[in-house]
Amino acid sequence: MLKNSIAVAVGGALGAYLRFVTTLWIPHSSFPYHTLFQNIVGSFVLGALTAYFSLRTRREWIKVGLGTGVCGGFTTFSTLAFDAVFLKSTEAFLLYISISLGFGLLAVFLGTRFVRTFVKERGVRK
Amino acid sequence: MSALFVIVGGSIGALCRYWLGLIFLAWTKKSKMPLSMLIVNALGGLGLGVFYHFAFPSSSTSSLYLLVGTGFFGAFTTFSTFSVEAMELLQKKAYCLFFGYILLSFAGTIGLFYLGYYGM
Repeated sequence: MLKNSIAVAVGGALGAYLRFVTTLWIPHSSFPYHTLFQNIVGSFVLGALTAYFSLRTRREWIKVGLGTGVCGGFTTFSTLAFDAVFLKSTEAFLLYISISLGFGLLAVFLGTRFVRTFVKERGVRK
Repeated sequence: MSALFVIVGGSIGALCRYWLGLIFLAWTKKSKMPLSMLIVNALGGLGLGVFYHFAFPSSSTSSLYLLVGTGFFGAFTTFSTFSVEAMELLQKKAYCLFFGYILLSFAGTIGLFYLGYYGM
């Protein structure tokens, strides 16, 4: 439990840091492209990790560190809510939510596919 | 320097999500819908709304906002787990649960952010 918690805290710090850095990289506009980028990329990676860990057994702290920590810390729902509420028009609001949802789901699907194509099942490794 | 605020807030936020997630998971064991992260996200939306209401004068680049808003609430809530759980429901062909989960997640998090920000 302690080991898992440390992994989540370290992973969460890394994920949040990467979110902060990518927010600075992506030029600011009236549409929150940076949050879309973070949530879609993070969904792809977590989809891939989930598929990978279903094929290969890994220690729990590695799973929660990368999944709960890094991906969870990198992606955010509260900033999505923040962005959505302050968008200027109803069209922009609906567009933002649709892109987040649609591309988030597509990213999970592609991440899963990616792993299943390139990673072959192998026995338990401890 | 500003990155340090995000890192500290982010690690605490992720840790709180992990612990609360485990507690909510035990509470909602009987539910067919993955409610644990849904509740965490909704709470995080409410929290950010309330925080932003009181911290509005200090802009979103202040160190307090980086620590609490970007760091803590940003990492406390998660979109990747939402996408993965929604996709799992879709692949199980549990369409009602799938649409219900999506609707509750967006309406809950955005609605509670709105309530926290404007309702305070």
